[in-house]
Amino acid sequence: MAQTIDKLEQIHIGKKGAAPIAAPGWAGRPADRVKLVDCDVHHSFHDPHQLLPYLPKFYQEHLLDQGLHLPGAGYANTPFRRTRPDIKDPALQERDFNFSLEFTQKELLDRWSIDIALLTGSASFYGYAGLPDPDWAAALCTAYNDWTIEHWLEKDPRVVNAILIAPGDPSLAVKEIHRLAHRKDTAAVMMPMQSPELFGKRLYHPIWEACAEHDLPVVSHIGGGSPGSTPTPSGFPSYYMESRMTRPSVASAQAASLIVEGVFEKFPNFKVALIEAQQMWAVPLMWHMDTDWKAIGDQTPWLKRLPSEYFREHIRVGTQPMHEPPQTEQVYQMLEMLHADETLIFCSDFPHFDWNDPVTVLPKLDEHTHRRIFAENALDLLRISDDMIEAVVA
Amino acid sequence: MRRIVVAKVGEIPAGERKIIVPFRGRAGIGIFNVKGRFYALRNICPHKRGPLCTGEVAGRSTTSAPPSLTGGFVGYEREGEIIRCPWHAWQFDIATGQCLVDPDVRVKTYPIIVDGDELIVDVDVNDFVKEG
Repeated sequence: MAQTIDKLEQIHIGKKGAAPIAAPGWAGRPADRVKLVDCDVHHSFHDPHQLLPYLPKFYQEHLLDQGLHLPGAGYANTPFRRTRPDIKDPALQERDFNFSLEFTQKELLDRWSIDIALLTGSASFYGYAGLPDPDWAAALCTAYNDWTIEHWLEKDPRVVNAILIAPGDPSLAVKEIHRLAHRKDTAAVMMPMQSPELFGKRLYHPIWEACAEHDLPVVSHIGGGSPGSTPTPSGFPSYYMESRMTRPSVASAQAASLIVEGVFEKFPNFKVALIEAQQMWAVPLMWHMDTDWKAIGDQTPWLKRLPSEYFREHIRVGTQPMHEPPQTEQVYQMLEMLHADETLIFCSDFPHFDWNDPVTVLPKLDEHTHRRIFAENALDLLRISDDMIEAVVA
Repeated sequence: MRRIVVAKVGEIPAGERKIIVPFRGRAGIGIFNVKGRFYALRNICPHKRGPLCTGEVAGRSTTSAPPSLTGGFVGYEREGEIIRCPWHAWQFDIATGQCLVDPDVRVKTYPIIVDGDELIVDVDVNDFVKEG
């Protein structure tokens, strides 16, 4: 005689796809301090028309007439339309993954006990950085930031913002930073990593100066691009997997540019995080630059210290995508070479298909390294006030 | 021998699945009807512990050579026999639990017994199966 399990909770999965189930959980944090900061949480409107109330009339007409018309590289082959198919926001249409705050709270912040989440916007929106019209790009950033304030930041003290700025006209970017810097929930500034010029170039220095003035770091996510620019000097890769492999070279070039152009000599309190571009590229970059500085540093005499020292003090890298080498031991070697207890910040990339949860992203670490990667490096980087921390640990 | 009725046969038409939680652990198991045959998998991906059984059931693309004018046609095979984990998209053969992207990885499977209109898992059988 077989026994039945009728009393147990059952979820039936129909043709419409998967229903949420209990994902493996994550133990709670001590009540007295921040344990987990996630520096890459994507958030988005589910319809561009949601930006209309935050746009001037001129651009409302533009949006109604033309749509967003954002440029994109054309890689169609992200699986599952880029986002995790195991979770469905009941408020949204089938296959709409632009989750609400309420759903993000349930599926990310509550389920994984995230104390502070840095909102980084929608990756498919980053094309704004490549719009030919700098005023349209800046208006979209302003609208996105204001929509985020009303629908996310003012509803949950755990979410803070990396305000979007566009590189097309740096003076407009500076204006947007000054406009929102007074807000406590402005924790960083987000300029997509694939910019028309390298970050160290002098045309961007007014942006970095404004960030430094307000003690705001730049958290730059991969993406963006500009008209006519290709992710490699040899054009566009054919396939999405290849395109992902170009990211470390982009991040490497931006880090080298910031260091060698003397940005951190000019703005000693300025910090930059380069995220979703892997992280281990930083190791050969630091080593190679130090070697070169000893040999040819005379060509850039404004660099007073080893390039790796600028890196370790001013540049941060995210945990996503994290390498999975054949032997676990190699992860520890990687982290040591990276000075991960100074340079690495946890980034989940929620809700994308290749997200990293905080439990399995890395093997078990010693207490110090764990705390640095999952909380303290981010708290040192982001502009988060003590009373905001109190609000989330209370 | 401890047999547990997990579903009625008619509850899971071909191509569909039922997830039962909790069952042998908090994440439960997924029972799949693949073209009339029933299979059960543990609902935890051996890669990063994602809820494997909630992933998309699909096939996989196949080709004999890189794309070219004369060859390398990309086809599609085993439609409905493969599940892709919702986290990171690793593919698994539903019938065997074998991971298709890493030969060393396998998800635990549970033999399903069809008894009349009932689907039954013999849980004791699995106590001798080494978990991946």
